[in-house]
Amino acid sequence: MNKPTLLLIDDEERILRSLRMLFFTGYNVHMTTDPHEAIRILRDEKVHVIVSDQRMPIMQGSELLRIARETSPSTMRILLTGYSDIKASIASVNEGEVFRYLLKPWNAEEVKQTVAQAAAIAEASFALQQSHVEIVASAPEKKPRVLIMDDDESTAQAVQEVLHDRCEIIWASNAQHAMEELAKQDISVVISDLMLGDTNVSYILKTIKQINPQTQCIVVTSFDDTSRLIDLINQAQIARYLSKPIHKSMLARDLEYLLKRFYALSNLPALQKSQSVAPINDPQEKLLSLNFMGLLNRLRNVTP
Amino acid sequence: MRRGHNTGNDIASLVIPLEPIAPEVTLEEVANMFLYPDNANVLSLPVVDNGRPVGVISRYRFLDIYLKPYGRELHGKRPISAYMSNAPLLVAHDQPLAEAAQHVAEHMRFPLTEDFIITEHGIYVGVGFVVDLLKAIEVQMRANSDELNQAYSRLKSSQLALVQSEKMASLGQMVAGIAHEINTPLGYVQNNVAMGQELFAQVQAMIAGYEALVDGLLNPQADEAQITTLMQQVATMRADINAHAMLGEMQGLMTDSLYGIGQISELVLNLKNFSRMDAAMTDTVNLNDCIESALNIGRNVLKSKVELIKELGELPKITCAPSQLNQVFLNLFTNAAQAMETSGRLLIKTWHVDGMVYASVADTGLGIQPENLSRIFDPFFTTKPVGEGTGLGLAISQQIIQQHGGEIRVESSVGAGTCFYIRLPARSAAGAPRDGTTLQTPPTVLRTA
Ligand SMILES: Nc1ncnc2c1ncn2[C@@H]1O[C@H](COP(=O)(O)OP(=O)(O)O)[C@@H](O)[C@H]1O
Ligand SMILES: [Mg+2]
Repeated sequence: MNKPTLLLIDDEERILRSLRMLFFTGYNVHMTTDPHEAIRILRDEKVHVIVSDQRMPIMQGSELLRIARETSPSTMRILLTGYSDIKASIASVNEGEVFRYLLKPWNAEEVKQTVAQAAAIAEASFALQQSHVEIVASAPEKKPRVLIMDDDESTAQAVQEVLHDRCEIIWASNAQHAMEELAKQDISVVISDLMLGDTNVSYILKTIKQINPQTQCIVVTSFDDTSRLIDLINQAQIARYLSKPIHKSMLARDLEYLLKRFYALSNLPALQKSQSVAPINDPQEKLLSLNFMGLLNRLRNVTP
Repeated sequence: MRRGHNTGNDIASLVIPLEPIAPEVTLEEVANMFLYPDNANVLSLPVVDNGRPVGVISRYRFLDIYLKPYGRELHGKRPISAYMSNAPLLVAHDQPLAEAAQHVAEHMRFPLTEDFIITEHGIYVGVGFVVDLLKAIEVQMRANSDELNQAYSRLKSSQLALVQSEKMASLGQMVAGIAHEINTPLGYVQNNVAMGQELFAQVQAMIAGYEALVDGLLNPQADEAQITTLMQQVATMRADINAHAMLGEMQGLMTDSLYGIGQISELVLNLKNFSRMDAAMTDTVNLNDCIESALNIGRNVLKSKVELIKELGELPKITCAPSQLNQVFLNLFTNAAQAMETSGRLLIKTWHVDGMVYASVADTGLGIQPENLSRIFDPFFTTKPVGEGTGLGLAISQQIIQQHGGEIRVESSVGAGTCFYIRLPARSAAGAPRDGTTLQTPPTVLRTA
């Protein structure tokens, strides 16, 4: 197998030199401080993984990754940033659709592993492309299920108005109910606030994504916390992060797009690796997640 | 002293329900009434006709008539209406105290000879003592001033809190910038050291391999096969580790690391100077240093969109609180960057004339609408969305400059840009010695060793 290709972008050359050393063996490394140059490379070459800084003078990393997504969809996108305000983090989800959001200073071993994982996923996805498998995003016979996890009824109403009867809509206003619904059946799209009452439900999203990588999660919230969001990107691969109040037209567009993605992923399990999540690291959440897994196994075994 | 009446804080509480006299009552009868013990304290008697007050007779005037020779004989049988004053002091029972007091004060005659009459819808209800009214007023004023004091101290503390919150807001932005500024060098330095450690281990293993080979070659007992194995081991290691290239690369990374550590130290130093919010204007510094320091802190906000031009002249040192002046410049720089849509130029100049130090900060941003020009220094005036602007930056900046005995001014034209001018006395007004080198030379320090 050829060495995977890695593209590094940062406005600080010393970061690039340092990273190049990290990937000295095993990769074919391109690096540049110029995002436009990066886009050119993406267009001309098969790049497995792109690792970009966020704050750069010419272009924000999330913007560059959005362009990368269009130019080379199979390339796995990673953000490596020293600091990020909430806006940048939200943009990295909604526009950049990043695979991982990593912080500087980084742990060498962790970054190496993440990039290796991303490279393997990209390789598989390139291979799929070459084998000319058609990625069909046609709707299946059964109606897709959408689960709303929010104690605020207006979210459920907004989703109802947007989807009408295209989907089976389930509304859970507390964590227990949400977990039961998720355990009973497969869900296509979860639309969730981060807090249900006073329960932080991040762990539910993280767990469900571990089990059903094709399930798409949209977070709708009025609650902004950058570090929590970063965890949700890495450990739940949330597909969208929307601020309340919900813009219906935006939600409609996102749902359309994510339902398609859900069909594509369901029809082609090989693609599901691209949605794989990092392990939960918060000990409390880990415990809650284990309990939820237990519930899942019990209920799924009972109802075939 | 006259009998004090219980004084509340309205006119009604001052009412003394004195039996009034009718207009036809004779002077003789009035004399008896003034002598009546219950009336010992009253200055005057109200004259009421059909419930309505029509006049007042004061003890003073009464005695004046009655005690004159033959007064009693001449006037005793005549009605009081012929002698009374027709313009009694009238106060409505529900009139506010202050208003009543004003009315009374305006119409009162000295020496004080009359009590005032209190009416309800024009009907007599009693009299009131001016002294009681004054006392009531005083009590009320004291309460008012207490309230005023309280309001004042509340306002003062909330203003302090606001100033603090502006500090926190700009600190928050700063921390964001600083975190990025520090994490970047920290990122590569940490990684480089980790790489170095790994490479070090590999090189160690390699040296061990070479040494084993040399030992094998030098050992007369070693056989061909053993030496071949050792050589093969070294060869594999050489192929795996491309030591030359790696070591060469590593050398560059070491240089980078030292540079990065330098950067971090500089930032930390800056931050330390910057966060010194103590207001003592005791340092003598060059204003250019304050500007450089603020630029350093604000680098992150600025570097992505601002082309920076500095024309810093040679300056005499000024006595000031550097951390505060840093804050002023950071505010100006942040505002300038925020006024630029995508990019622009920031021109910073300093110069000095006649004991005054001047600085100007000019940007090519959006400019300020003429109608806003007079308001930008007002606390809370902001044109920025919630969360972005506190509207306190310039208000605080102005306060700081004024505290330093200086002045800050603005010129702006919409679409072209904005320029802020700062003037500061080279020797600050506040507490700093104005003349004489004697005070400037530090006191002689006793040598102890
Ligand atoms: N350099 C500038 N260019 C254009 N407008 C400015 C500039 N500096 C200040 N302003 C105007 O003055 C207002 C008040 O500034 P300031 O007191 O720093 O508060 P804030 O920046 O939080 O709004 C700003 O909202 C802006 O409208
Ligand atoms: Mg400001």
